[in-house]
Amino acid sequence: MADIVLSNVHKVYGHVVAVTDINLAIKDREFVVLVGPSGCGKSTTLRMIAGLEEISAGTIAIGGRVVNHLQPKDRDIAMVFQNYALYRHMSVRDNLAFGLRNRRVPADEIAAAVSRAARILSIEPLLDRRPHQLSGGQQQRVALGRCIVRNPKVFLFDEPLSNLDAQLRAQMRLELKELRLRVPTTSIFVTHDQTEAMTLGDRIVVMKDGVVQQVGTPLELYRKPANRFVASFIGSPSMNFITLRVSADGEHFALACHGWQFRLPARRFPHLGSHVGRSISVGVRPQHVRLGAPVNDDQIALNGAVTVTEQLGDEQLLAVRLGDGEIRIAGADPDLSLPTGTQIEAAIATDHLHFFDELEQI
Amino acid sequence: MTDIAAAPARSVGFFFALAPRGKAVFFALAATAVCLLFAFPVFWLILTSLRTGTGVYYVHRGTEFTTDNFHEVLSQEIVLRALFNSFMISTLATVLSLGVTATSGYMLSRFKGPIPNAWFSLIYIFRCVPYVAWVLPLYFVTQKLHIFDSYWGLLLPHIAVHICFFSWIMKGFFDGIDPSMEYAAMIDGCSRWGAFWRVAMPAAVPGLTALAILCWLYTWNEFLFALILTAHETPILTVVMAQFVHELGMEWHLMSATAVIALVPALIVTLFGQRYVIRGLRI
Ligand SMILES: Nc1ncnc2c1ncn2[C@@H]1O[C@H](COP(=O)(O)OP(=O)(O)OP(=O)(O)O)[C@@H](O)[C@H]1O
Ligand SMILES: [Mg+2]
Repeated sequence: MADIVLSNVHKVYGHVVAVTDINLAIKDREFVVLVGPSGCGKSTTLRMIAGLEEISAGTIAIGGRVVNHLQPKDRDIAMVFQNYALYRHMSVRDNLAFGLRNRRVPADEIAAAVSRAARILSIEPLLDRRPHQLSGGQQQRVALGRCIVRNPKVFLFDEPLSNLDAQLRAQMRLELKELRLRVPTTSIFVTHDQTEAMTLGDRIVVMKDGVVQQVGTPLELYRKPANRFVASFIGSPSMNFITLRVSADGEHFALACHGWQFRLPARRFPHLGSHVGRSISVGVRPQHVRLGAPVNDDQIALNGAVTVTEQLGDEQLLAVRLGDGEIRIAGADPDLSLPTGTQIEAAIATDHLHFFDELEQI
Repeated sequence: MTDIAAAPARSVGFFFALAPRGKAVFFALAATAVCLLFAFPVFWLILTSLRTGTGVYYVHRGTEFTTDNFHEVLSQEIVLRALFNSFMISTLATVLSLGVTATSGYMLSRFKGPIPNAWFSLIYIFRCVPYVAWVLPLYFVTQKLHIFDSYWGLLLPHIAVHICFFSWIMKGFFDGIDPSMEYAAMIDGCSRWGAFWRVAMPAAVPGLTALAILCWLYTWNEFLFALILTAHETPILTVVMAQFVHELGMEWHLMSATAVIALVPALIVTLFGQRYVIRGLRI
């Protein structure tokens, strides 16, 4: 039962700035996912919360208590590591009991806690094995079990699913969600996988180069990305970006690039006014491009030749040449035959357009 | 024979290019040669230890064998004392130096900063000094400290050498152990020291065992330090053995008998430990 507050947290390794000015308030029982590309400082942030890494500047508070100078063992947290970090010379049972024994919990309580955790995670038959006798998924469960036996204030996860194969990963994701219902505890989950972030998080923190880019619910991030980086990072396949030049055209703004142009009513897109005479980056998700001609005034048209198709069974992904670039389209009918060079017409609802000042990805 | 599968093997190398039968023969021959090479001196040693004093030089002087040499050697008080001393020195040096090498190897593996760096440089420098160059200074030092010809007078130099040489191997063992196990232990309620002692050390046991065996054998067989740093008070087996060569001649038969006696503990330790040594050096 604890909230976590990070205020102006910095981390510097010698000359390498790993994390810059993180401010984050995590509510009690909230499940927050830190996501970002490799090297963006996710693990560093998590390890500072765990107490495994010194905090260069700022404060971290858990349950209202500043923990900057507390040892990891005094922070009442539990952590799952990417490679599980099970104690390899101990049986599964001893792995689970280790933390409780260190805290001098009576033996009968330990036994009860271990069997409860084993039951929750269905690892009862494995209790007498050694870690090297377990599969990856089983080790993963033991690592989770080691966390839940102690009933800590906070769970920390550092890419716990990344060593599993795709199928097992999807299954463990579901199990993690079920586990949350049984053991509701404030959690921070680090991953570089946007699907994991979207499916698991109550809220998502997107990081890049040690800087927080956006904090929000999965839907907020998907619908209102704060910048081009978040827009391209969240969602799969990733968002299309087209650089267009804005000009005023009476009641409308005209946006144009080589090979494509359309008009948007000035009334509905007033913020474009400040960009007249300049270029802007327009983003549109592949899922929001529909094959076929526009059916109403709120849709804009797009024409191009198919360059590549990818068959997924329930849909096809298309790449369509548009001017100098390419635009990706998802959700095409899998039965459509679209050989390279086919001219297609597509429509985009103007609601689904995203506008970004940055022409290059930040 | 149309051996299509064998064709690409030719490019792999001589050994793989041989037909299976040829491979087996080659392997057997090579193994036998290597075994003979190493076993022959031991065989000769045992043979000599079972010959009479006059029978040593000429193989053709009869086929007379005797165990008298062993009786004679084992009735000499100095040999018995040397056996005991060698055993004690080897065991104590192993225990004491492993205590230090384990912690020092762990520090070198896990920590950065001025203290580990200074320690690293120190043992690096000492390692660069040729072993032989240590002996004479150590002689004077032990004299000055009044520990010449005592257990400590031999133990301390041995431990110092072990620390310089084996800290590196120990560092290697700990480098092979994932530190996140210790982080997990720290979160699970251990102090930093507790994580080392209760999680890293047990995980390093195969390596430690291997090192203990190597360390023990090394000390047991060591000659130079023992020769210079001990005298009559603390006879050491390797030195006593060499003393069968003296002004009155060379008592090869007695020397061989002592050598065979010295071989037995080493053999036991090796046989007991080879499993651990192989496993330990592999991690
Ligand atoms: N011990 C260290 N010394 C110096 N620099 C470090 C150290 N640990 C991390 N860094 C640097 O800090 C930055 C953030 O590292 P961090 O491990 O937090 O990344 P990450 O987001 O977890 O990446 P990944 O997804 O690859 O695990 C990186 O640029 C990394 O090089
Ligand atoms: Mg990481």
